[in-house]
Amino acid sequence: MSAEFLAAGPSVVPARRRLSGSGSAALAVVVALWIVAAFSPLFSARAAEIRLGERLQAPSAAHPLGTDDLGRDLLARIVVATPVSLGIGLTAAAVSLFVGFTVGGLAGYFGGAVDLLLSRLIEVVLCFPVLFLLLALAAFLPPTPLTVILAIGLTTWPGDARYARAEVLKVKDLDYTRAARAAGASTGRVLWRHLLPSVLPPLIVSAAFGVAWAILAEAALSFLGVGLPATTPSWGGILGVATSYVEEAWWLALFPGLALFLTVAAYNLLAEGLRAGASERGRT
Amino acid sequence: MRRQLGALLLLLTVGAFACRARESAPAPSPQAAASDRTLFRRLFGEPGTLNAVLQTDVPEQLVLAYVSRNLFDFDAGLHLVPSLAERIEASPDGLAYTITLRPEAVWEDGTPVTPADAVFTIRKIADPSTPSPLFKPLFEDLVSAEEVSDRAFQVRFRKPYAYRAMSFVMPVLPVRRFAGVPFDRAPDNRRPFANGPYRLASWKPQESLVLERNPKSWGPPAFFDRILFRILPENDVAYRALVEGSLDETLIDASLKDRAAGDAAFGACCRVLEFYDLDYSYIALDTRLPFFSDARVRRALTMLLDRDGIAAHLYRGSARVISGPWAPQSPASDPSVTPLPFDPAAAARLLDEAGWRDTNGNGIRDRGGREFDFELLVSSGNTIGREIDETFVAELARAGIRAHVRSLEWASFVERLDSGSFEAASLASSAPDPNPDPYAYWHSSQWPPRGLNSGYYKNAEADRLMDQARTEMDESKRISLYHRLHRIFRDDAPAIFVVNSTKKYALRRRLEGVESSPLGLFAIWPGPVGWRATAAPRGKGPSP
Amino acid sequence: MASDGGAARQRAQSVTRYALARLALAVPTLAGILILVFLLLHLAPGSPVSAMGGESGRRVSARAAEEMRKQYGLDRPLPERFGAWVGRVARLDLGTSFVDRQPVSLRIRQALPYTLLLNGLALLLTLAIAIPLGVAAGGRPDGPLDRISAPVLFALYSLPTFWAALLLQTLFSVRLGWLPLCCVASDTAPGGLAGVGDRLAHLALPVTCLTYGSLAFFARLVRSGVVEARRQEFVLAARARGASPRRALWAHAFRNALLPLITVLGLILPALLSGSVIVEKIFAWPGLGRLYFDSILARDYPVVLGLSLLGAVATLLVTLAADLAYAMADPRVRDGTEAR
Repeated sequence: MSAEFLAAGPSVVPARRRLSGSGSAALAVVVALWIVAAFSPLFSARAAEIRLGERLQAPSAAHPLGTDDLGRDLLARIVVATPVSLGIGLTAAAVSLFVGFTVGGLAGYFGGAVDLLLSRLIEVVLCFPVLFLLLALAAFLPPTPLTVILAIGLTTWPGDARYARAEVLKVKDLDYTRAARAAGASTGRVLWRHLLPSVLPPLIVSAAFGVAWAILAEAALSFLGVGLPATTPSWGGILGVATSYVEEAWWLALFPGLALFLTVAAYNLLAEGLRAGASERGRT
Repeated sequence: MRRQLGALLLLLTVGAFACRARESAPAPSPQAAASDRTLFRRLFGEPGTLNAVLQTDVPEQLVLAYVSRNLFDFDAGLHLVPSLAERIEASPDGLAYTITLRPEAVWEDGTPVTPADAVFTIRKIADPSTPSPLFKPLFEDLVSAEEVSDRAFQVRFRKPYAYRAMSFVMPVLPVRRFAGVPFDRAPDNRRPFANGPYRLASWKPQESLVLERNPKSWGPPAFFDRILFRILPENDVAYRALVEGSLDETLIDASLKDRAAGDAAFGACCRVLEFYDLDYSYIALDTRLPFFSDARVRRALTMLLDRDGIAAHLYRGSARVISGPWAPQSPASDPSVTPLPFDPAAAARLLDEAGWRDTNGNGIRDRGGREFDFELLVSSGNTIGREIDETFVAELARAGIRAHVRSLEWASFVERLDSGSFEAASLASSAPDPNPDPYAYWHSSQWPPRGLNSGYYKNAEADRLMDQARTEMDESKRISLYHRLHRIFRDDAPAIFVVNSTKKYALRRRLEGVESSPLGLFAIWPGPVGWRATAAPRGKGPSP
Repeated sequence: MASDGGAARQRAQSVTRYALARLALAVPTLAGILILVFLLLHLAPGSPVSAMGGESGRRVSARAAEEMRKQYGLDRPLPERFGAWVGRVARLDLGTSFVDRQPVSLRIRQALPYTLLLNGLALLLTLAIAIPLGVAAGGRPDGPLDRISAPVLFALYSLPTFWAALLLQTLFSVRLGWLPLCCVASDTAPGGLAGVGDRLAHLALPVTCLTYGSLAFFARLVRSGVVEARRQEFVLAARARGASPRRALWAHAFRNALLPLITVLGLILPALLSGSVIVEKIFAWPGLGRLYFDSILARDYPVVLGLSLLGAVATLLVTLAADLAYAMADPRVRDGTEAR
């Protein structure tokens, strides 16, 4: 969804003017993060190099952020984990939003039997114990990024769906929608040209939180030990290890936590900036 | 909005204030007079049952050690000592054992512990429908259990077994309290009928459990009036509770031990007790697989694991490399059998010899079109196991072998292991008793589903030695059989044996009489029942 | 939007009918959830026997394990077990736990108050801060409050709970020693008011952890509702009729923001029951989240099923309530549903 939204080029232009202060700072951070991610393969050899003799070393010139429990360079590991977290966060949120908006939007727009059926589907997934599903998935499927994306995306969409449904219900009988329908516009056209733009601003709030949440969820899953495999560096995974060494290796908890925090915060602020711009446009 | 933030701050300050008030109050600390005779202990989790036969987990064992006595016990030197029983006699053919109960052994209502109780307990353990993982393996070839007099009973087995007497380190349940109720749902499982020095006083689920003196206790008097168990799952939290004074003992790991060494507050109130026990870690291999069926390959893998580095760094020096399924202090372990060295070059030669070469130049060794590529399982709670595995995988990659670490939560891990659907798995072996017999894990008759030989290991010579040792009643001859077996295990490498590490406990300085043993602090008699505390908070001298 | 005065009774009737229809719809949903949970639970790897004793448990031979499985009734075919379970539930009996052989309902009753207390307090605190903050920020978009609160809230929202919990514990419990590290209460806690203080002290950190993150969500939700409403005619009209800016904001703009808030609350409320696994784990809080997590790890099927049933029923009821509130707040919803 975010990719789609960013691709909506011209519509964001008025927003750009408003991306002052925290918004543009966030944009800079996000761009910087992706640059880091692009160069991360350069660090992968260093991130994998185990030196037991250098385990749990405090930050120094040789290891700017210290070393982890196996003597690997923490900076390299955090860098290598960057594309993983960014990628999983974006994709999982996109999956969730796409499924959620489709199901919720259709339910809200068509109402009646469609609504009835789709709402039951939303309810079943909504009431399904997420944690249990995640543990079951972790036991059934190999621990790959795809598994994690599916686990997050397929358990979070009902929230987006209910929200989308409510928003569509709110606007579908407004005058301009009615007018479009009266003018003979097709259902698809009404949905995409008239309803989507009007439900977009609140959905962007939801999507922004969605990306942030997905990145956090990935970290939490890895933290609980049911996310990515131990050998794939991930911020949550390093934090999970850090809990065993809280007092003696503060850097192990601090730096991946900061990276996670910075990324999530940057995404949130960027999206918030875009949201402000979009609603500005909606007003005119 | 400002007001609301104020409310939040208020909540936080009220909390802080209340907590301080608590700390400055005179009564609650364990050093205060009223608490002198209360021992504050730690449980990792909630006991699932207090039925001694159905116990499965450490918390249950820790509580029951105070409440339920065994027929026999191990003392700190691992000798069998009489407890509820006063003597045991074996028949000349070694198949029948007659056990006589001690006349003064009574239940908490003063009635004697009877042979009928013991016979009932043994039959329950052997009953296929009783889930008793702790005691069932001890009575697998039971023939019968009968009362022979009002003080004695006789137990018959199918085969003679050198370590049979250890089977009677087992509890006794009162038969009359299980009459007419389903065994697994008896009220006694929540409120056990005591024959030990303490009985249950209260139990707050997920919080704490309190024991009080058993008025009819018949052994030597214990020091403490009350034992308070706190349920604290996290080591870290327990460490802080110990230093704060609301706990008298806790298990710690190498990392917490290092922290304790640099922590003045800890030094002022507590000490560390460290000792080697009989537990060890190893990596099980499915020897049916083409990768692991050749002893040369298994030896090569052992030589690719830097066990000295692991002992020095991951265990911070508190571990010893092993070369067979025993801790170095087990009599079965032969000190002259030195572990294989960490030697990647020699390992590479062995792999070449066994036909595992990189024929297609992709960096991975292969043989007959199959790449050397396997999955290494580890249970998710096994932190050091995961660290060992990751170290191992990195070294394997340098040697042209691809391996993946996969962490599984316990139930799935065990199921993969038991169903034989694993390639390699990191395991920790913990000894319930000093029995060194490796039969159940490494004898070829013990392949699943019959036994626990999950790696489907088979070595005819090893089988023969294990069979012979089981019926060899002369201890020194038996030990020399095990020493021969040890050499075979090192060279044939049925698994990758890793290390035996120390157990570390942090204890309040007030505790005295804490005896360690190769079985740990708790699985021995008197064990914690013999612990005492100095009366004065500043340690002026022991109390009477 | 306009409704004529004589329609009050008719409206009540339509709401009732709507409620009954929704309630009937909950039945297939519930059945679907339970069958799914049951299947997944029994097909997932591991069993109560393999989980026995946890990490420190002793392994038993596959043959002995098979015997023990019979003891739990796990040798019966799946449909039969499901039927038996549904039959018991119909008689309001959730069965007994595999782990401690206590009634499942008892285990849930023991953990429920802790979770309700913790999560209820956290939600109240969140709303008490988020609503005024959101309305105030939305009342003057791009005002100083809006500009400052946005990044602060986002920063808080971006802070991972497990990380914050570790940092808070280290700071307040270890370094400063102001607040207890974990647990529900000190075992020496006095009764009466002093005891309340002790309980609050133990609640402070977990409640903080559960509150700070959701603040942003609710505050921004309220804010965007208010901002949107401010531009709409009825608020402008209210201002034109001479309503004070404050009144226009609270009585009109805030009401508009209520709709999405209700929807989201409907989604959040059942989480009160499921508890927060991470926070309950870190602070050793004996609530439902921990019970659920531990029961899954122990493959304690009756407890997992019981808690899933509870969670599903609660979610369905709350969704129903939210939909009803929605229907009452906005007649188009119920009429629309009924017309089609």
